[in-house]
Amino acid sequence: MTAMLTMPRARLRGAVAAGAMCLALLGAPAAFADIPASPRADQNAMILAARQDPGTLDYVISNLTAVRLWIPANVVEPLVVFNEDGSVEPGVAESWEIGDDGLTYTFHIREARFSNGDPVTAGDVVFSLNEMKNSPVVDNAAAFTAVESIEATDERTVTVTLSRPSQAFWHGMGGMSGLVQPESAAGDRALNPIGSGPYRLVEYVSNSHMRFGPNPEYWGDAPAVGDVTVRIITDGTAGLNAMEAGDIDASPINTIDLWEQIVDRGLDAMATLETFPQAGEPTYAILNQKLDPGLRQAIAMTLDRQSFNDAFGAAWGAENTCTFALPHQSWYAPESPETCPWPFDFDEAMRLVQENGYGDIDLEYASLSDVPDLSLPADIMIPMMEAAGFTVTRNAMDLARYSQLVFQGRPPQFDVTIMAGDANPNQWVCTDESMAGWSTYCSPAYAEAMARADQATTTEDYDAAMLDAAAVLREDAVIVPLLAKLAVGLYHHDLQGFAHPRVGVAIEFANFHWQ
Amino acid sequence: MTSYILRRIFFLLLAVFVASVAIFLMIRGAGGNVAAVVLGKDATPEAINALASEYGLDRPYVVQYLDWIGQMLQGDLGRSFRTRESVASLVLVRLPVSIPLALSGLLLGILIAVPLGTYAARNAGRTPGMLVGLFSQIGIAVPVFWAGILLSLVFGVRLGWLPTGGWTGWSENWVQSLRSLVLPVLALGLILGAVLIRYVRSALLDVMNQDFVRTARASGMTEGEALLGVGLRNAALPIITVIGLQMAELVGGTVIVETVFSLPGLARMILANVAAREVIVVQSTVMLIIVFVVGVNFIVDMLYGVLDPRVRTRR
Repeated sequence: MTAMLTMPRARLRGAVAAGAMCLALLGAPAAFADIPASPRADQNAMILAARQDPGTLDYVISNLTAVRLWIPANVVEPLVVFNEDGSVEPGVAESWEIGDDGLTYTFHIREARFSNGDPVTAGDVVFSLNEMKNSPVVDNAAAFTAVESIEATDERTVTVTLSRPSQAFWHGMGGMSGLVQPESAAGDRALNPIGSGPYRLVEYVSNSHMRFGPNPEYWGDAPAVGDVTVRIITDGTAGLNAMEAGDIDASPINTIDLWEQIVDRGLDAMATLETFPQAGEPTYAILNQKLDPGLRQAIAMTLDRQSFNDAFGAAWGAENTCTFALPHQSWYAPESPETCPWPFDFDEAMRLVQENGYGDIDLEYASLSDVPDLSLPADIMIPMMEAAGFTVTRNAMDLARYSQLVFQGRPPQFDVTIMAGDANPNQWVCTDESMAGWSTYCSPAYAEAMARADQATTTEDYDAAMLDAAAVLREDAVIVPLLAKLAVGLYHHDLQGFAHPRVGVAIEFANFHWQ
Repeated sequence: MTSYILRRIFFLLLAVFVASVAIFLMIRGAGGNVAAVVLGKDATPEAINALASEYGLDRPYVVQYLDWIGQMLQGDLGRSFRTRESVASLVLVRLPVSIPLALSGLLLGILIAVPLGTYAARNAGRTPGMLVGLFSQIGIAVPVFWAGILLSLVFGVRLGWLPTGGWTGWSENWVQSLRSLVLPVLALGLILGAVLIRYVRSALLDVMNQDFVRTARASGMTEGEALLGVGLRNAALPIITVIGLQMAELVGGTVIVETVFSLPGLARMILANVAAREVIVVQSTVMLIIVFVVGVNFIVDMLYGVLDPRVRTRR
């Protein structure tokens, strides 16, 4: 200390100045100034960030969001495209007819070419639909449950015959299940998927980037932004740094663990913030169906949805709900006394635990440790359950182990877990209790309502059936929704044209243009 | 000397064999499989088993191990299950990132450690020496992750001098690629340098009071000349050993740096493939790194024999 005090004053001043400068650089906010102008605006190029590497681009066998965000709609197109207002526009199918009984679909294939120059034929469509029908990904194959036959009736016509009407089939033709690829290039799908969309894949380097260029064979208008790079930035803070520095032009998907940081750094003011439900996810607790219904209801009453919402630090990102749906789905409802049969009531939960001896049951809580979206809710949920008198053992594991134990467990190998994922109510349908797994909810009433919805021939009948199904799910406290999380994207102010996804969760590059 | 070399080669091969078994068992012991990762959470067990069988993951472990080792000995590192890309091509694409990053980080660390460690040794017990020690302590305590994020924030975001991350490629734009490496190399090199300072200082303090250094002073050399010309050479042995051992730390550090700066390097590839349970990619790539690290340490051992005649003649 004495030695420091005798340091030459010039050196001491220099050290203090250097320290002050560092603090200033670190601490000084950017005064919420805009992100620097992008050098790519003049080049008609853009760089987007991806949080996850796809590993494979084979969308037939991979269910990863990392594939579904970029390849559909941009490289590979579906037969038709469903707009947000419910209208349907042509995709690979230029026109179509649906039989009055809803059992026959006739698709007329447009004169077009894939990006490799091959013509789009009815044979390719038949091949593509059969690939999806036989896909090991449940969501891809589910659209074809009622399909009896898929035939090319001539060079430009495909006829699909169903055993019963199916909304899942028709909507599937506008989603992943309806994506059309050339049969001749199917073998290269993992690294170079080919399609008839406005873009073609130029390069994919795993854990680095995907690069897209305009498809010279595209049947529609050439996109305004021709050169698109999706840079894989797995670290969320690094992604926000890149956004703030202007190294990237958009971060289309920002997971919930970043929301508080976005607010604190002022990025929601510096860039254009877009929230949209299509790529959002419900967050929900899953209570093993074998548990006593009263026990499940008591657990449900320990769930304070607002505390989960507050934990993620951004009011614009999520809505409390007791309905397994997202805001763009017709049967969705925010949290309310009418739609929450087991609302947060801690005192009542405690009373039920004491009265029924639920505290004597050791509940195993399976928790994903490497997914912040889910480990944080677990951090909230477990102490609340314990405070109410439940005995909880937390089994924290990584995704691969969780996949093995929870996703593949038959019967379910947990008592309580928390999950977020696609807002697909079909995933819960279970007609064979012996096949019950983590994502099945064996309720005849639920299965009946979902079947009624699938076979509905009018929108009104479909909506009514889905509302019934949602009510069954709410009452039984097996799947207990907490939040409807929206997808949150950040875009450079000058990059205009963002539109809600229409083909699954795909971000459509062709909509963008520089101001 | 011959017996010394032969002994070292035997232990090198033994280490590589043990490592291969350890890696093989560890990646499988982690649970899960690549088929489940690919097909997602809604896949049926039947679908997963079918895909796993297609990948050959249902064969007995012994068969899988011998198959893998046999291919490696023939120069075939195997293929990714998901994309069918050869591991060799996956590695080759990433070497132009990882090698410059690791070597530059190491070089920077040495360039920091040798002068500062020498300075600290010369000023042991005095304020300048203590300040160097403080810098070293801070560097050891600071996680590479934190240093990387901080550098990105200051020089990338606040000042806008350097890219916050990403990689262009040497052939596409070598200037931009160089700029992309500056902050990651700083992050690695500063931390490594801080660690090495202590070893350099300690090794020099050991030799400074030796007779041969005093003799060098007595023969007319200045303190600095004696230290650098005579002392450093003798202190080089333990320093080289530590550098060899730090190679393994460097590989670990590059995982974090590559992730923070979004560099498509080898370490990040391994991490991603561990998460995806791409066992062949992980096994083969880790084995390459192990062979490299063991090889470096073998060279260090040989250097010992060159630098210190007592080692090669010891029975």
